[in-house]
Amino acid sequence: MTEVVPAVGAPVRVRARVRDKISRAFVVIGPGLIAAAAGNDAGGIATYASAGAEFGYRTLWVMSLTAIALVIVQEMCARIGAYTGEGLVSLIREQFPLRVGAFAVVCLIVANVGIVISEFAGIGAAFELFGVSRYITVPISAVAIWAIVVFGSYRYVERVLLVLALVFITYPIAMVLGHPDWEKVVSQSLLPHLLADKEFLFLVVALIGTTITPYMQLYQAAAVADRGIGPDDYPDERVDSITGSILAMFISFSIIIATAAAIGGTGPLSSAKEAAQALEPVAGAAAEALFGIGLLGASALAAVVVPLATAYGVAEAAGTERSVSRTFAEAPLFLGLFTGQVIIGASVALAPGNLIDLLLNLQVLNGLVTPVILTFVIILANRRSLLGDAVNGPVLRVVSALVVVVISVLAATVFAQNVLGLG
Amino acid sequence: MPRLNPLSAPSRLRERRHQRSRRLLASRAVADTLVSVAGLIGRPVRNPSAAEIGTIKDVVARWDGGEYPPVTGLVVRIGRRLAFVPGTQIETLAHREVVLQSARLDLADFQRREGEVLLVEDVIDHQLVDVDGVRVIRAADLYVAKVGAMYRLVGVDVSMGTLLRRLGPTRWRTRPTPERVIDWAAIQPFGRPGSPIRLREGNRALHRLRPSELADLLEELGRRERQELLAALEPETAADALEEMDAEELESLLRESGEEQAAALLAVMEPDEAVDALRDLEEDEREQLLAMMPEDKAAELRRLLGYGERTAGGLMTSYLLIAERAETVADVRARLVDDADHQADLPGVLIVDNHGRLVDDISLFELLVADPDTSLNDLGGEPFPVTVMPEAEIDDVVDRFVDERGSSLVVVDADDRPIGRILADDLVDALSPQSRVHVRRRLT
Repeated sequence: MTEVVPAVGAPVRVRARVRDKISRAFVVIGPGLIAAAAGNDAGGIATYASAGAEFGYRTLWVMSLTAIALVIVQEMCARIGAYTGEGLVSLIREQFPLRVGAFAVVCLIVANVGIVISEFAGIGAAFELFGVSRYITVPISAVAIWAIVVFGSYRYVERVLLVLALVFITYPIAMVLGHPDWEKVVSQSLLPHLLADKEFLFLVVALIGTTITPYMQLYQAAAVADRGIGPDDYPDERVDSITGSILAMFISFSIIIATAAAIGGTGPLSSAKEAAQALEPVAGAAAEALFGIGLLGASALAAVVVPLATAYGVAEAAGTERSVSRTFAEAPLFLGLFTGQVIIGASVALAPGNLIDLLLNLQVLNGLVTPVILTFVIILANRRSLLGDAVNGPVLRVVSALVVVVISVLAATVFAQNVLGLG
Repeated sequence: MPRLNPLSAPSRLRERRHQRSRRLLASRAVADTLVSVAGLIGRPVRNPSAAEIGTIKDVVARWDGGEYPPVTGLVVRIGRRLAFVPGTQIETLAHREVVLQSARLDLADFQRREGEVLLVEDVIDHQLVDVDGVRVIRAADLYVAKVGAMYRLVGVDVSMGTLLRRLGPTRWRTRPTPERVIDWAAIQPFGRPGSPIRLREGNRALHRLRPSELADLLEELGRRERQELLAALEPETAADALEEMDAEELESLLRESGEEQAAALLAVMEPDEAVDALRDLEEDEREQLLAMMPEDKAAELRRLLGYGERTAGGLMTSYLLIAERAETVADVRARLVDDADHQADLPGVLIVDNHGRLVDDISLFELLVADPDTSLNDLGGEPFPVTVMPEAEIDDVVDRFVDERGSSLVVVDADDRPIGRILADDLVDALSPQSRVHVRRRLT
């Protein structure tokens, strides 16, 4: 009894794991609802509402095709997560030459910074509905979000934000109560018709960009991998990812339809106030407040989760420390990326100009990056050495390649028209 | 979140790593002989008369269990073919080229052999464990050097600078930047996708790690690497580490491990920790795992699962040291020696009567100062132990703790027989805001 062995069972762990924070935000409620909630961030709401306001039901067929693409893409990401047990950024580091992988990571960061900016713009727009200037609220919320994550009492806050964001589940009710022209809804959803209009094309790319986001692909693969879902559990997970995508699309459709029924054809959306009118059938005079609450919850939630998840993924791929309980000296890449995204996000959201226009432009930015990241996803899902028998079959190979080509052509056209000034 | 104390173990280990690396690079001579593996890609392979035979595609090493794995050969691209050049034929391996010993070569097509890995394809850019630094790293570059007659893998570079060097122009790649080299002796490597190396036992330094440090490593690794590390650990060591893991991380680890392995790990874990983990699983998953365990173990876990999570029964540790009144202090001390593994769960020894009913709780202090020949019966007496029933809610347990100011409470059944003990740290775990909240289970 002379030897004193240190007590090994004593709990000594104090590190807060980002992964916990990220997964708890979402995993807690199940991926279906999450996917639906994530499609409804600031950028999504603005884009769908804008589509409904400007073009009525005429973008619905684009959404039908986007829905198919979304189901295909999310299923591939879930499969990659289940069969490799790894996130996309790590796989990109391991499976591609370093330079190619670095290009993908840069694209991903650009797209996600775009989303972070949208979320801060969403926070600003939400508070403006209550009459508070964004020049006050955006800097304060940026500091608050940064502090909450770094000093770590985020778990309680996120639940509140999540509940706030669920306000947007009222859109389907608003859609029904708004008495849309159902015949038109159905025909416009099923019959493709080309509108060779610059504005229309711009909005189409924004719709694709906000629906098939690189961030969602990242999230889907990581969530499946982090939950320990393996090949054996994959059949269930497959159903889950598909129903999740469909639910997300249902909400997106209902936002467009509800907005179209309320203010369709009145021209481009110019403010959150206008977008809020779509909820009047549900909330009457309180529509603006309801919309504001939902927008605030969804935006603030994503403003925390997206920069955190991006920094985590990149730090994991780089092989450096990725814990919020580290100091800057210990985890410069992780904390630097997180902080940088919050600062850039808040700063750009303060730039003078219309917030709705800013939001739409950022969704187009996402639409430009989407085909790049999709290409990586498809290459991974086509790689037999990685997925074995779960590799994409011949039909999926063709269809997924087609999806990328179509999105690329659309994105390239919009890029040429709006950035290069052609056409 | 509280920050790690600057003097905590990981920092000390990190310091040790730096010392090792400094030792490795102590002499300029050593630094100059390091050849960057990433820099070798695409470099020419020449015969003694300086004619180019082909270019380097990869470097083959064998994980032989030693500190510095030998380079067993090169994968060389000759025309469209990939050929294997055995390590014995290498005359010099330098930054810019490889020169072979003889002009005559039997070039065999490359085929992987047991225990061999391709350094570029399987190791660079993949995860490794830096055991001294207690962290998961990704190899930005590897360095080989001539040790005795052989080229061996001696170090791994994890710096961002090296990554940038590889991103830059090709001519930068040969320039080694060994300022952040980690001695390979401190590394736990992994196999390659599809065929993990099971032969090699874990890095010996792994045994020095605390369970909580191993838990950190397991949580940070990718799935394949995590499973390999788990396989390299002794079952008891692995179980200790699992007990320290975050509840959700443990849940996904058990799910990904496959039922047989998960059941085996749970059976070795402390019962209360195993029960916590089982509670996190779905009911059918839980039943499958219990069915695969030894019957008595499964029965014990089922009994503990029967108690509510936030009740005394759910909080308690079922590990007890129970003695009869007639036993002497010396007898009990001897039994304590055998139970050294469980010392964290043993603040005292329980005395029971002939019917197994609790008589007293003797603290280790009392045992220490008592005469070895004293019978336990004589040690018993006031103050009598504070007990709770397993059904008691956590609030009641806390009240009893506050009233009694003890370090533990004994849990007894309806017949006053001891069935477990609630330690103060169990209660701290349960009350701290980081404790498990099973929102997900309630919603699904």
